[in-house]
Amino acid sequence: ELPPSHFAAARAAAVAMGYLRYRRGGPGRGLELRALRRARRQDIDDAGHKYYLELELEDVLDKGRTVNCTAEVLYHLGSKSTAPDVQATVQGELRSTEEADKEFYNRIRSLEKELVAENIPDSHGNVPLELEPLHLLAWAASGYVIWQNSTENTKFHLAQVKHVKQAKRSDEDLQFDYVLLLHEMVSQEVVPWEVTVLWHPRRGARVPRDRRQPGHA
Amino acid sequence: MRLPVLLAALVAVATCTETFVGHQVLRVVPKSDEELQKVQELQALEHLQLDFWLAPRGLGSPVDIRVPFPSLQPVKAHLEASGVSYSIMIEDVQALVDEEQTEMLRSSRRLPLDTNTFNYEAYHTLDEIYNFMDMLVAENPNLVSKLEIGRSTENRPLYVLKFSTGGTNRPAIWIDTGIHSREWVTQASGVWFARKIVQDHANNEGVASILETMDIFLEIVTNPDGFAFTHTKNRMWRKTRSKHSGSICVGVDPNRNWDAGFGEAGASGNPCSETYHGPYANSEPEVKSIVDFVKSHGNIKAFVSIHSYSQLLLYPYGYTNTPAPDQQELHELSAKAVAALSSLYGTKYTYGSIITTIYRASGGTIDWTYNQGIKYSFTFELRDTGRYGFLLPANQILPTAEETWLGLKVIMEHARANMY
Repeated sequence: ELPPSHFAAARAAAVAMGYLRYRRGGPGRGLELRALRRARRQDIDDAGHKYYLELELEDVLDKGRTVNCTAEVLYHLGSKSTAPDVQATVQGELRSTEEADKEFYNRIRSLEKELVAENIPDSHGNVPLELEPLHLLAWAASGYVIWQNSTENTKFHLAQVKHVKQAKRSDEDLQFDYVLLLHEMVSQEVVPWEVTVLWHPRRGARVPRDRRQPGHA
Repeated sequence: MRLPVLLAALVAVATCTETFVGHQVLRVVPKSDEELQKVQELQALEHLQLDFWLAPRGLGSPVDIRVPFPSLQPVKAHLEASGVSYSIMIEDVQALVDEEQTEMLRSSRRLPLDTNTFNYEAYHTLDEIYNFMDMLVAENPNLVSKLEIGRSTENRPLYVLKFSTGGTNRPAIWIDTGIHSREWVTQASGVWFARKIVQDHANNEGVASILETMDIFLEIVTNPDGFAFTHTKNRMWRKTRSKHSGSICVGVDPNRNWDAGFGEAGASGNPCSETYHGPYANSEPEVKSIVDFVKSHGNIKAFVSIHSYSQLLLYPYGYTNTPAPDQQELHELSAKAVAALSSLYGTKYTYGSIITTIYRASGGTIDWTYNQGIKYSFTFELRDTGRYGFLLPANQILPTAEETWLGLKVIMEHARANMY
C-alpha cells in the first residue's frame, strides 16, 4: 500500500491519465485527475512493478461532475523500450461529446485554408476560444506519447502546443501535425515532440506517427 | 484586413505631415500576362503617386496598391478598361490609421500611477514589478523598505522588500518567489502578497498582529536574469543565466545550488541539464546573496520558497531519506496550512517531505535553511496540476495568491506562537 502522496503513486497515476486522455479524450473532452484516492504497488518477479490505482476524474468541460476510475499500470522489468501496460475502467458516464465533436469536425472540414496555429496557450496562459478544441486534442495526443514513453522515473505533462498544422486528407479523418512541448518533472526538461494525430468523431484520436524532435536546444 | 506594421509606419508619418483621407488600397491578382502588364504600367505612372504595398511578382500573386484619393478615378478606369478585376481591401486608409492609433494609445503599457491602479490580475515584466516595489515603498515608508542584497550574473539588482513596524533585528519570516523564472504565477503572487501585507497592516487585520513582533522579508523576483529571458527569448527558461567556463550551455538550477547535500544524487553535473547544480555550492549570486543575508540576519524563524506547479506543500529533506528531526511537527503544520488553503476555492494540495512526495533533489533551498536551524522551512508548488502548468492563465493569479496566502498565514502564525 502506498500513500497517495508518494511520488511513485503520482507517477503511475500520470501514466494512467495519459492512457485515459488518449482513449477517451478529444477536442470535446479533457480529462483531469481530480484526486488519487488509493494506490497499491506489487512487485512481480520477472515481470516488473504493478500499480493498482483508484482515481477520481473530471472533464474540464464538465467540472462539478467527478467520475471514479480504477486503473492498473505495469512497468515492465528493466526495459527502456517497452511502454507500460495500462488497463483502466471508468465507472459511470462522462458527458457526451457528440454535439461538440460534430461541430468541430464540420468547422475544420469547411475551412478553405489549412489551419495553422502556434503557442497554445500563449505566454500568459491564454487559449483563444476557437483553438480550445485543438488544445484538448493535443492533450489527448500527448496522452499517447506520455503513456508510451513513461517509466517509474518520469512524470510527463503537456507544457504547450508549440505549433499545429492541419494536413488535408482525401479520406474522412482530420489530420493535425503537432509540435508539442512535453515537460518531464524529474529531469525538469521541456522536450519538443512531433506528433501526428488523426481524428474522427466516431473513431476518436489515433497517433500513427510521433518522434522526439532531434537537436533539442 | 489589418497590416499592423505598415499601419504603424503610416501612423508615424500621419502624426507628422501626411494624411491618408480617402486613400484606398486595391488588390489585383493578375491572371494573364496582359493583366500583369497593365498593372506594371501603373508602376511607371509616377504622377499618380501610387504606393505598392505588394509589388507585382507574377501570375497569381496579389498586387496591393495604396491609391491616393485624386488618383482613384484614373487607376480604376485604367484597370476596368482592360478588364482587369480588382477588389477594395481598405476603403479609407485614414480611418484605419486613426483606429490603430487609438488602440495603440489605449493598450500602451503606461506605468500605473500607484499600487491601487496596478493590475494584479495580469503578468508583468521585470521593469513593471521593480516599479511596483518602488511605488509600494513610496506609499508606505513607515512599513516597507527595499533592500538590495546583491546583483545577478547579468548585474541586475536583487531586491528584497522588508515589512517592519520597528524594533531591531526582530525574529523574521522569509518568503521568496520566482527562483525558477518560468514559474510566472509565483512572481505574480509575490506582488499580490506585498500589497496584501500593506493592506492588512492598514486595516489592522490578518498579519497586522504578526507584524507587531516579527518582520517579513519578501523577495519577489529571485531570479531576474531568468525572468527577463522568459519575456524576451524563451518562456520555458528555468535556471539562472550564468556561463561557467568550459560549456556552451548557460545557467545553473538555483534550487540545486545550495550547500545541503550539494552535488549528490538528485542534481545533475551536466551544465546543459535543467537541474545542473553548478560548479560549486553558492556559485550563483542569486543564491549566495540569500545565504549571506540569512546568515548575517541570524534571526529568521520561518523560510518559505515558492514554486509552481503541482499543488504541493513540501518540507525537508530532498537530499536524504533520513526524516527531518521535526518531521512530525512539520507534517501536522502542513496539514493545517493545506486545509486553510483549500478552504477558499477547494483547491486540492498534497503534502509531505520533498523526497517522498516528488523526487530526490540535492542542494535545495529549504534543506539548507533547515540545516541552518530555521525549523519552519517549506516549499510550495502552486497551481495547477498540469493542465496549463507553467502557462497558468492570468485569471488564476488572484485565486492562487489568495488561497496560498491563507496557507502562508497558518505557517507564519505557528512560527510566532512557537518561538524558538
